[in-house]
Amino acid sequence: MWEKTKQIFLDSIERSLAAIAGFLPALLAMVLLLVASTLVALMVRFVVRRLFLRANLDQRLRAWGVAAPASQGRASPSMTITRFVFWTVTTLGCLVGLSAFDATGTAAKQLLNYLPKALAGLAIFVVGLSGSRALERSVLISAVNAGLSSARVIALGGRWLVVVLAAAMALEQLGVGGTILVVSFAMIFGGIVLSLSLAIGLGARTTVARSLERAFPSTPEPPKEREKNGDAQSGEYHHM
Amino acid sequence: MQATVEALPEPPATADPSAAPVFVAVDGLSTSAAVQQASRVEAMLRERYPQRAATVGVTAWEGGEVVVRPPGAATPSDPGPVASPMTGGGVEGHISALAAVLREGVRQHAAGIALVAAEPHDETADWLGTLLAPILEGEFDYVCPAYLRHKADAAINTGIVYPLTRTLYGRSLRQPLGGEMAVSLALARRLIDLPDWRRDPANAGSDAWLVARVLTSEARVCQAWLGARPRPEGQPEEVSQMLARVLGMVFREMERHADRWQRVAASVPVQSHGAAGVLEGGPQPPVERFVATFQLGQRELAPIWGLVLPPATRVALQRAAAMSVESFRIDDSTWAHIVYDFAVAHYAKLVERRQLLLSMTPLYLGWAASFANETRDLDAAATEARVQQLCGTFEREKRYLISRWRWPDGFNP
Repeated sequence: MWEKTKQIFLDSIERSLAAIAGFLPALLAMVLLLVASTLVALMVRFVVRRLFLRANLDQRLRAWGVAAPASQGRASPSMTITRFVFWTVTTLGCLVGLSAFDATGTAAKQLLNYLPKALAGLAIFVVGLSGSRALERSVLISAVNAGLSSARVIALGGRWLVVVLAAAMALEQLGVGGTILVVSFAMIFGGIVLSLSLAIGLGARTTVARSLERAFPSTPEPPKEREKNGDAQSGEYHHM
Repeated sequence: MQATVEALPEPPATADPSAAPVFVAVDGLSTSAAVQQASRVEAMLRERYPQRAATVGVTAWEGGEVVVRPPGAATPSDPGPVASPMTGGGVEGHISALAAVLREGVRQHAAGIALVAAEPHDETADWLGTLLAPILEGEFDYVCPAYLRHKADAAINTGIVYPLTRTLYGRSLRQPLGGEMAVSLALARRLIDLPDWRRDPANAGSDAWLVARVLTSEARVCQAWLGARPRPEGQPEEVSQMLARVLGMVFREMERHADRWQRVAASVPVQSHGAAGVLEGGPQPPVERFVATFQLGQRELAPIWGLVLPPATRVALQRAAAMSVESFRIDDSTWAHIVYDFAVAHYAKLVERRQLLLSMTPLYLGWAASFANETRDLDAAATEARVQQLCGTFEREKRYLISRWRWPDGFNP
């Protein structure tokens, strides 16, 4: 009996050791991949940071209105992009490392397959966010020049419209929400357009008519009359 | 836009200079108006210079470029962007006619080459003779037009273009961007040989380009008062778009000639021909609306202005925004600093250029309101003296401009 117990015990240890022996190379491979990916990520971060510094990216993006001014105390665009690149490379290294285990290979493969969609969604959102800031500044300037007292509200409205649109596109790319997003958007945009049409049609009909008449006069002033009037007697104020 | 026609034979060296040919091109938004103006110009040239061979052409858009055609050959239905001297160069939809006019004038060996607007001119003034005489008499290479305007009119010119051009290039042209011009054959040859037509076609040929090129050369310059300004055709351009367009052209030339204007210390007057002056009366700008737009800009655009203007200027603007409409003022020194800071921001690209120029509109309207308040009760002579005082401030503050231009990121309280 003692012999049999000893045999079972030895077999168990042998199986455990064999399992550990089979597991160790994969673990070692994963650790090596993690270390290598971290090193690669650090190198890529260094190169990207130097490139951005040389290209003066922060100043350019702020000049274009894509990034917030430095005075607002937020992380600089180059720092944000550098961090994003670093963590993307590190995450990729982790996923490749996980695939070293047979047991987790399927999950890692699924995650790897999903990664391009996730990156595309993130890119759409980031571009939308940056574009929305430039649009906000542009709309704000135009609205102020037009003398609209609600310039800030109009500019913010334009910005959030783009942000929400970008978020919806990103979510659709990620496969989140399905058709609900599309339907919701169609309803919201349709509602906005209908409201604006009604507002202009009912409230600003005469203003629109006057603007159109100014832009496309139905009865242009005859040349003879223009000649007699001249600029000196036109009675209009000219900026130039 | 390269010349495809052969030059006419060179006139003999012994030819009488008083019989040298003249070439005048008429340019406008409407071909029919240009053809009518061409016939008027032909009659005036025959009467004033009977001994000279005078040719009149009309600009037209053909085969993707501006060409000069005899009035009879111009087709009113020509599609495409039309050349206009008032808006030439750097503007989408408007192509400068200057290159085509200069080439045609040089081809004809014309002693005087002029570009005039298609709109009817002041019939009480000998405007064409005043424009051409300084060139044909051999005294000058470039004649810049000036017009009789109401004292409050043309605030972009009065408040920015005139003082800035005078300070930068050291010669006092009262209306530097008049649109029309006359040049000598020698100057025309030098201008068409410049590499700018190839390197910077968007800006080469604009009014600002021509004036800057002439004022930074050794050309002999004068100005001609041509009577009341021809009334521009079409709808007036929206003020912010006009300001952005004009300042974009002026700031671009400022950048191109930075090495030259930094060495100019003071300005000298240029010789004037014709009856100079300012028209009495005239329309007053809507000061209340201007001040309201300025105050709105101060409230909403302060973060953008903060990227361009130093704290001292921003404090001055805050004080101005708190004033009532009647007492609203922006002092000359603050205004000169604002113009200079925007020029530096344009050069250093501190803010996207189009947004930068558009964001200046409330500031400009504020200055226009301030100027209108100050000159409301002044007569024409006193108003002109006030403008000269403003120019003096621009010239005194030029050191500030040079310092900011050389060190845009330097400490600036």
